[in-house]
Amino acid sequence: MVIDLDRCTGCEACVVACHSENNIGMSTPEEAARGRVNHWIRIDRYYEGQFPDIKVKYRPVLCQHCDEAPCEPVCPVNATYHNPEGLNVQVYNRCVGTFYCANNCPYTVRSFNWFDPKWPEPMQLQHNPDVSIRPGGVMEKCTFCIQRIKRVEDQADAAGRPVADGEVQPACVQSCPAEAMIFGDLNDPDSKVSRLAGDGRATKLMEELGTKPKVVYLEKAR
Amino acid sequence: MAEHPELLPYGIIREDLFRPLSRAGSKWWFTVVACFLLVVAGLAAWGVQLRDGLGVTGLNRPVFWGLYIVDFVFWIGISHAGTLISAILRLTDAAWRKPVTRAAEAITLFALMIGGLFPIIHLGRAWFFYWLIPYPNARLMWPNFRSPLVWDLTAIVTYVTGSAIYLYLPLIPDMAQLGAHNKPWRRKLYKALSLGWTGSDREWHALEMAMKLNAVIILAVAISVHTVVAWDFSMSIAPTWHSTIFGPYFVVGAIFSGIGALIIVMATLRRTLHLENYLIKRHFDNMSKLLLTMSLLWFYFTMSEHITIWYGNEPKEMGVFGQRTRGDYAFWFWLMVFVNFVVPVTLLGIKKLRSVKTAVIASFGVLIGMWLERYLIVIPTLVTPRLASATSVYTPSWVELMITVATFAAMIMLYLLFARLFPIIAVWEYKPHSPEEED
Amino acid sequence: MFLISEFRSKDALVEAILALKKAGLTENDLAIFSEEPIEFRKGILDRPSNMSKAAVAGAAVMGTAATSFVYYAQNDYKLVTGGMPIFSFWATGIITYEMTMLGAIFATFFWFLWESGLIRKRDPEAPVPMIGPASMSLRVRCEISRADNFVEILRGSGCIKTERVK
Repeated sequence: MVIDLDRCTGCEACVVACHSENNIGMSTPEEAARGRVNHWIRIDRYYEGQFPDIKVKYRPVLCQHCDEAPCEPVCPVNATYHNPEGLNVQVYNRCVGTFYCANNCPYTVRSFNWFDPKWPEPMQLQHNPDVSIRPGGVMEKCTFCIQRIKRVEDQADAAGRPVADGEVQPACVQSCPAEAMIFGDLNDPDSKVSRLAGDGRATKLMEELGTKPKVVYLEKAR
Repeated sequence: MAEHPELLPYGIIREDLFRPLSRAGSKWWFTVVACFLLVVAGLAAWGVQLRDGLGVTGLNRPVFWGLYIVDFVFWIGISHAGTLISAILRLTDAAWRKPVTRAAEAITLFALMIGGLFPIIHLGRAWFFYWLIPYPNARLMWPNFRSPLVWDLTAIVTYVTGSAIYLYLPLIPDMAQLGAHNKPWRRKLYKALSLGWTGSDREWHALEMAMKLNAVIILAVAISVHTVVAWDFSMSIAPTWHSTIFGPYFVVGAIFSGIGALIIVMATLRRTLHLENYLIKRHFDNMSKLLLTMSLLWFYFTMSEHITIWYGNEPKEMGVFGQRTRGDYAFWFWLMVFVNFVVPVTLLGIKKLRSVKTAVIASFGVLIGMWLERYLIVIPTLVTPRLASATSVYTPSWVELMITVATFAAMIMLYLLFARLFPIIAVWEYKPHSPEEED
Repeated sequence: MFLISEFRSKDALVEAILALKKAGLTENDLAIFSEEPIEFRKGILDRPSNMSKAAVAGAAVMGTAATSFVYYAQNDYKLVTGGMPIFSFWATGIITYEMTMLGAIFATFFWFLWESGLIRKRDPEAPVPMIGPASMSLRVRCEISRADNFVEILRGSGCIKTERVK
């Protein structure tokens, strides 16, 4: 995935889209005040300059799907692991909730179901049937909308053709009005994301930790 | 008479040490019942947590580890009182150890039982804790042996097994002697535990050999256990957790708090069971010196840990350092330095001030200080994650506090029950012809 | 045929043991019962022990078994790890170490039960003398025909009393 920070307006449409696509439970204001918000993607705000001359910069942070993910080896029950396509996935059924993965994630993108998930009426009616609802007590995080990837792959398989570049769109990518987010196959050198990842503006978040993240941020050097 | 308890006539020793088993005063009953009620309250709090979810704790994102992990490290640390100290004393053949060892070994076993519960209590789905155990299962997979939590499991299982055996071995001859107890249920219990011990020289030989071997093994295990607990932290890449010094630092801290706990237990036993002739000044003097040594060692490690962070000046680590030394946790940090270093060094380092009373005061301070140390290792790191936007605060909830209090009550209760069921000093080790006499 | 004789002094006991051995009894025929361990010089009543060998063997067996098991388990369900090793001796080292120690602990304990005779009855028929504080009882196994001879030896070395038990 490539995120163009120079395009991001911080509108948080991706956050909302992610919530409804992935059946993420709703927190209450009181719970949120205690730090119990459950977002798979969040917009970090960075301020530059002195008031009133402030420039705000936004950075959407989601699971970076690291190649060498620090969360993976520490899970005692293999609940988080690499799937053969290279995604860092979370198997909810295996998770016992040791929290180790979340502590070891330098990006703090893992969320925990502190209670059984709840939705205010009538939001439970708009659940996505493709995504399971996680019980309380398990860790969860961004999956790059794996259900959408699978659906496109199945369709392509049925039609006997390869998956076209840009055919898969996770909810956040689809909903981004500024088209700041682009999703594609990094293994395919001709894909749009591969080309953008080679762009001079490309950076990766905390690459120095050796996690080999798969989210590329495009940012004008200053 | 009190100077050399091992020279007391054997009959009196036996009488003195077996007496507590038969008489339970009202104070004993009161304390046991009070502790039991607290334990029940703690279990109820855990029940609430199991029913509602971990949301009833004060944990949040990114503070995913809280009081439970602090308690876990603390109790595993306390467990180093016993087995480690008693093994060192046994191997060096320190004659004064005799009345101390069993009291210490019992602390180990109970502290481990309590500490071992915390990783389960803090699980999101505690009812699936056994998924960490490798057994053929319907999920068709094994646990992930690369996870430090699985190392923890193996280490703690080994330590509990070893400590239980280490406590049990020297208990066997005493059980045989108690086989003639007047209460039928106790007679049955003691007889069963004595395994038909007859006191033959083969049995004695095997016992001494087994105890010697076990002391060596348990020493190696005890050090590894707390190292592995420390590695739960240092294997991660969180700022200040990822530190090479954590293994030995935790081991030193564990022995430190363990000795503190042991001094408190010894003083209590001496007072309540009237063991003034057995736990004499010399024991407290020696234990105080040990505590003092550990206090200095602890300070040395704390110093090396923090000075390298400060001088390295790496921003993320400095964030945690700042939280500890002048941020939200500064009060607790300096309190910890005060009770862990200033108090013991003053009270026990100055010979005039060193007494049973000051040793107990210093020990209480050390227990508080060591608990704080674990708190200050776990929490400040988590509230200052690498991405500043995720910063958070942590306040423990009543559930966590209740469970913490309950574990202290559980420790007291288990110990009181143990002291009524088994002689707290190994009677047979008080052989009338002690090494001093033979020389 | 068993003789049970009670001693109050260790020197007398040593003398009795040496005399009995001279008269042709082996260390297997003798057993001492006491409330606390009695230590002798080497060569008086040796009880050779294989416990340390057993401990090492137990340690080696369990350590190897655990390591092999981890190797098997990690490879049996091969996860994609994205560049990190699925099995490494670094990460398995701790499990190897702990299980080695656990093996040693178990081996020591069971060897203790075996060697002390607590779980196997060496002489189910043999009588067990009652012992009190500071007393040491020597149990001698011998043929009936030679019993008188041994009783003499025991008396000569200073025992308090000697009983004959069938």
